[in-house]
Amino acid sequence: MSSFPPLLQVFLYGLLTALATGLGAVPFAFARTISPRTLAYTSALASGLMLGASFGLLSEGADLGRLATLVGANLGVLFVLAAGRLLGDHELQFGAIRGEDARKMALIVLVMTVHSVAEGVAIGTAFAGGTSLAVVITAAIAVHNIPEGLAISAVLRPRGVSLAACAGWSILSSLPQPLLAVPSYLFVESFQSLLPYGIGFAAGAMVFMVLVELLPDAFETGRRSVIALLVSIAMVAMVLFQQTL
Amino acid sequence: MEPILVVLAFATLSAFMAPIGVLPLRTRQAVPSAWIGWANSLAAGFMLGTAYLLAEIALIGHPVRAAVGGLLGIGYAYLSHLASGVEDVDLNRLEDVDPLYGYRILFVGGLHGAMEGLAIGLAMLESLPFGILVALALAVHNIPEAAILGSVLRSAGLGVSRTAGLAVAANVGQVLFAVVAFAVVPAIPGLLPWALGFAAGGLSYLVLSELLPQAYERAGPVSIGLVTSVATGFVVLLGGLAG
Repeated sequence: MSSFPPLLQVFLYGLLTALATGLGAVPFAFARTISPRTLAYTSALASGLMLGASFGLLSEGADLGRLATLVGANLGVLFVLAAGRLLGDHELQFGAIRGEDARKMALIVLVMTVHSVAEGVAIGTAFAGGTSLAVVITAAIAVHNIPEGLAISAVLRPRGVSLAACAGWSILSSLPQPLLAVPSYLFVESFQSLLPYGIGFAAGAMVFMVLVELLPDAFETGRRSVIALLVSIAMVAMVLFQQTL
Repeated sequence: MEPILVVLAFATLSAFMAPIGVLPLRTRQAVPSAWIGWANSLAAGFMLGTAYLLAEIALIGHPVRAAVGGLLGIGYAYLSHLASGVEDVDLNRLEDVDPLYGYRILFVGGLHGAMEGLAIGLAMLESLPFGILVALALAVHNIPEAAILGSVLRSAGLGVSRTAGLAVAANVGQVLFAVVAFAVVPAIPGLLPWALGFAAGGLSYLVLSELLPQAYERAGPVSIGLVTSVATGFVVLLGGLAG
């Protein structure tokens, strides 16, 4: 890929990481029947993965500017609050699915897409430091994206979305990565100062989505102790995964 | 003041916040249900923020030890819930309470106290201002806990002042654990990242298994989500200032 001009390289690497997100749907190929309990436990899994990812984002943002990160986080909370209301006001259709389920599915795709914006900026600014580490950075981000696809699929699949569509929505949610990587590579200085806000926004949106949509769902049908175990173990696994890779 | 006395003082102060939760009993028999939900989510946010700050320190240089410590903390909290039979019991009930329920409340209070004490002691090791922040953040959790315990004891016919005294006594474990953690952990080389991870994992599990599900039963998810996330962010911000 090094024969391509740098700008195209940044885009292509960003695209590769987006495609990796689709791999997150794969584990659901093996799930046959999906009961209300399964929905509770997949919500718990998605919650843990998203909380773990937010942890990584927050600590990254804190290094760049703790206050800016938290301002961003509060904006992220408001964003999910507003988006949840707006989506609830419209008669939504998500594939063949309508009503409350459709609202929830649209919201998770939206939140994860918005969170990819911050990641795209992170890729672009990282590449601006030189493309010598490009492969390493790309591989790391691509691997990070797989559990994010898993989180999306864990919400969509139990509500009747097909496997291919789960992979498709996962990839779609990561498309802002290549799209944003390019301008932030070009205008690295102005984007770098926005990065902590963006990172905070992504973390705040994900945490709030977990607290308002996913966890209440999970606790409604699943056993409390099992959900708590699933969420906390998935969270630790995600944090370890991100810190060591 | 000697650092260990600072630990003792603030862990004790945190335990003495408990009687605030008993105060409403002087005028009314019970607090409104939604208030208990919000108090729980405030405590959940403060605990999550504390867990975040502890994990942040633990992960520097030792991600694997911190993560394994976290899993041990989760496992410990899960098993002790399981062993005491409280894992799926609503511990915020104010009506139809019996002595067994009262013992369970006390037991869970003790379990929380141990985790919170550990967190305070470890945070004090990082820096005293950070430790004081954690002690104050976790003190908030003792208030709704005492409100629940208080209404159980009141329904058993106990006076308000004795109820307040017992609410403090239920948190003595916290003081003990804070002081012991502060004194013992640095004496054992390499233990710190494990211990930090353990406390962070244990606190997260307690939030997820008790505080949040109980909060959702008493107030809407939006208000619970807002209180929890803002409280978490507040502690994370102050943690940055306290170093």
